[in-house]
This record gives sequence, structure tokens and C-alpha cells, in this order.
Amino acid sequence: MKILSPLDSIEEVEQLSAAGAEEFYCGLLEEEWYAKYPVISINRRPAGKGHFRRFDDLKEAVSLSHDLGRKVFFTVNEHYYTLEQMPLVMKYIDSALEAGIDALIVTDYGLMAYLKEKRYQIPIHVSTGGTVFNWRSAAFYKELGAERITFPRHLTIKEIQEIIYAMPAMETTIFILNSRCINVDGFCTFQHGLARKEIFPMFRNACMLPYDVAGVAVDAQGELSAVSPAAPAVQRQKIWETIHVDDHPCGACALHEFNTMGITSLKIVGRGNPLERKLKDVSSLKTLVDCLHHAKPAKKKFRLTARTLYAQTYSRTCRMHMCYYPSVMIDNDQKNSGRKRGQ
Amino acid sequence: MEQAVFISKIEHLKYCDENFTRLYFGNEFCERLIPSRQELQKVLSFVKKRKLSFTFVTPYVTNQGLRGLEKLLVFLAEKCPQSEIVFNDWGVFHFLREKALPVIPVLGRLLLKMKRGPRIMNILDKVPDETRRYYQTPGLTVPEICTFLKHNRIFRVELDNLLQGMDLDGTDNGIHRSLYLPFAFISTTRFCLTANCEDETKKEYVGVFPCNKECQRYTFTLFNPVMTLPLVRKGNTMFFMNETLPEAVAKRQVDRIVIEPEIPL
Repeated sequence: MKILSPLDSIEEVEQLSAAGAEEFYCGLLEEEWYAKYPVISINRRPAGKGHFRRFDDLKEAVSLSHDLGRKVFFTVNEHYYTLEQMPLVMKYIDSALEAGIDALIVTDYGLMAYLKEKRYQIPIHVSTGGTVFNWRSAAFYKELGAERITFPRHLTIKEIQEIIYAMPAMETTIFILNSRCINVDGFCTFQHGLARKEIFPMFRNACMLPYDVAGVAVDAQGELSAVSPAAPAVQRQKIWETIHVDDHPCGACALHEFNTMGITSLKIVGRGNPLERKLKDVSSLKTLVDCLHHAKPAKKKFRLTARTLYAQTYSRTCRMHMCYYPSVMIDNDQKNSGRKRGQ
Repeated sequence: MEQAVFISKIEHLKYCDENFTRLYFGNEFCERLIPSRQELQKVLSFVKKRKLSFTFVTPYVTNQGLRGLEKLLVFLAEKCPQSEIVFNDWGVFHFLREKALPVIPVLGRLLLKMKRGPRIMNILDKVPDETRRYYQTPGLTVPEICTFLKHNRIFRVELDNLLQGMDLDGTDNGIHRSLYLPFAFISTTRFCLTANCEDETKKEYVGVFPCNKECQRYTFTLFNPVMTLPLVRKGNTMFFMNETLPEAVAKRQVDRIVIEPEIPL
């Protein structure tokens, strides 16, 4: 399993490589794009931090990465592009190829079809926006020329395994750290953060805003009635605004299973994060991957190692709503409960 | 202009009156709500009796959902050939294409993506013209996308009624368009917050867990001042309501209106 790290600048390449990153992914927005689309991105990272600003810089970062034996993938993964945007999108792709990038991360099936028709010789990785929830979706994209798929966050470990076993020829990427998105990325049409922090309501993603919630329920006779604001059903809706808060969501406990099933790459979300944070993420993940490869621990022992390292690295305990693969947490809790009952 | 009605439950057949010549049945968002063969059979009997055209609407699916759906689609193709199948998952399309079933694939609204959260209405007059046009223009304007769709025998796409309007000028007339009224989807999730919502002990559960289809009982409305309309959560999906007919109807750039008497979940 390779560690796929976000990359925002030339200066980050050496340190992240030394920390254990084996692949990079990045994005780029130039002034020309900003002038026309100040709140729309060419990839899924909103305008602002988390982008290279010049192709010359990208070229240098790619060259350095290659010297260190690392590949660099370029994100062109917004959900769709319009005819008006296509010349600029293709200019970006051509410039990225000249810079030496190793693959494009794409969501738009139309763009994939276009690249295939024009015989672009560059590996295509399907972004999580491609919504590959089953093996036939993976097969569809393979026929469009894709070599790797990024699984949506909303798949369970078992569901991921089924797709991998049905499509062994495809490379795969899963999310492992940060940004546990409450919505299916590929089906979310909310506009991501629109403004600077000073304009609070427009700054936050829509899923992070506070909402007043009202509920209605229909009874067995088909009669509608209001639900009390204090009722669990209404209170539960409030958790929506807490999920996307990036309080170090993590899926590391599931690495044992992912290693067994042959996942290609572990994606750390975090373009725009400070380098210090990226280094912490990469290093802790590297420790766990090395543990799997060298010590080959049993699953239970590995999970304990992962949870302990998480607590040490991020100074917080594991929480269900911050767990990428919560079946692991429930599994752990049930086993611990059983042990207590048996005492 | 063809008029269709979209229902997700047998009980809602009551909405299908003489105004409609086509019935849509199914759901787009949750594989647990895929109808049973018996339910589908009942709807097909209704369709046959009323001499209606039929569209079966399907959600995005995991392997498990796909296994069940494949059998249902084969059944439907046998019982009602030339039915339309609205797909919101390229895996479902892959199955239809591979098996060459005698059905008509239709690209669902989840796969024709445009930004549409109500908050953008606050900034529409403040952004550059290029950005405003982006919000109002679907990917259908790209000829290569239309070529791709037609090459794959997809000649109809489903559209939501966006608050910012939709500019369909210059889009390929070989691709027909349906417009859904009045509920437009914004976002969907497998981390359903309606699932187990009555169980206090599962308040923090965020993931894919078994449910008791609480979505059939509850509907939630979410309010925040920056949203120009309330958001409506039904089950695992967020919607808004827009009853205003867009210009595209008057310009005859859509040829089918799909009425949703209730949120189709």
C-alpha cells in the first residue's frame, strides 16, 4: 500500500517524501481562472489555499518528485465542465502533461470520453466523484480508459473488498485520513466554501452551517403531526453540521483489512493544510503501514496499535462520527463488552 | 409537452389521473427502497390497464443492491419491453448495455451535475458573468458529452428545476430533456441521519447501518438565514422546492414535465 499525500508546493516535496509519502496529488489555479471563476474551481478544492499557482512551479515539483522516485497526480476532478470552460480545462491538462505529471484524477465522464477519443496517453484515475459503488461502475470506467478508482467514502470495508475482488486488474485508492464528508461527494451539488472567514455564513460549507430543524411525522393512519424539537429524531439531524469539521477523521484501524485485500493507495485528504499537519499525517500512517509489513500483527493487536498512535499523534480519542470505517469501532466495542460480561 | 407523474409507493398511484400519459415509479437515492417484484408487477398492471407509458427509476447501488436490481430489470424487460430505465449509477447502465435488454436508458438527475444549493442565489449578481453562466449551464453544452451519450443510446436526460435557471441554448436537440417539479435534489448520503433516528443510543452513529425505514415516517426541514429557501431532508437526501416554471419550458427546450406529488423517497 502506498501513501498518497497532498502536495501544495515545491518546498514540501522532500520533507513529505522523507516522512513516507510515496505518491502525491495536487491541483493548480492560475490568475486567469480566478478572474473568471473566483468561487468555482477546476478541481474539488475551493479557490484559495491548496493550489499551485504556476505551471513552472508544478514542473519543478514533479521533477524533484521523480528524482525521489515519487509519482505526481494532477486533479481535474470537478463534477462537470461547460463548453465555455473546456478550452481552459484542456489548456490546463496540456500544461500539466508538459510539466510531467503521471496521471490525471478525473470525475467528469464526458472529459474521460474526450481524452480517450483524442487518444491522450496519460493514466486516468477516477476521482471519488465518479461514485463507484459497485463492480460494474468500476468496469464502466475501465472501458473509458481508467486505470485506478478512488472509492467513495460511503462504502464499508466489506463493500470495498467485493469490488476489488471483482475487478482485480484495477488499481484502487481509499480515503484514510481527514475530511469525512457527510454527503456522497460525487452527488453533492452544494457550493463549497464561498468566501473568506470574515463573511462567516458564506465561508463555511453548507453542511457545516448551524440549522434550526423542524420535523414532521406521519402515523399509521396517515396523519401528519409535528415532532418535538427535543425528540431524538430531530436532535439527530443536528449531527450533520459536525461531521465535516476536520477534527482528524481517521480510518487507520481498517488498514489491516485493506492490506489483505490489496488496496493500492491510501489517500490523505489535506490540500491546503499546513506542512506540519501533513507531515504528522504521513508519518503516523507510515508507522502503521511499516508495522503491517514488517511485524505482521494480528488484526486485534494492530487496531490497538492504531488507536494508541492516533491518541498520541492527535491528542484525542477515537470517536464514532470521526471514524471512516465505524464497523471497526462497533466490532471493538462488542468484543470488549463480551470480555467484561465473561469476567 | 408530455406529462408524467413520479411516485415511489404503490399507495401514491392515486396521484396518477387523466392528466398524465406516463408513470415514473421507483427511487433514485436508496437501494433499500428498490421495489419488490410484487410491487413492480402491481404497478405494471396499473400501467397496462390505463395504457400509460412507463419509466422505472433506479438508485445508485452497491454490489448487493445491483444483484437484486439486475433481476428486477430482467423481469421488467420481459413484462414491459421498451420501458424507460432512469439510471443514476453507471454500473446499472453497464448492466443494461451488456445484456442489451429491450429497454430505453435515461440519464438520471444525479449524473447530470449542476451546482444548486440555494445559498448561491445570494451571490449570483455579485460574481463575474462567466461564473453566473457556469451556474446556469449544464455539461450538455459540450458536444463530446452528447456524442458520448448518443453513442451509448442515451437520448434523454433528467433535469432539476434550478433556482438560478438553466440555459439550454445550443444544447444538442438529439438529447431530449425532462424537467422534474417541484422537488430538486441537492445532496444525498449513505450516512443516513433518518436511519435509527428514534434510538437515542444511536444518536452519534454516522455510517452505513441497518435501518427500519424511518424515512417513510419522517420529513425534516432545515433553516439557516443564508439559505434563500428551507432545505428539506427526506431519508438520506436533501431537497429544495421550486414550483416556478423555467424559461426552458416556454422555449420548448424540455419536452417532458415530471410531476412529483410528494418527495419520491
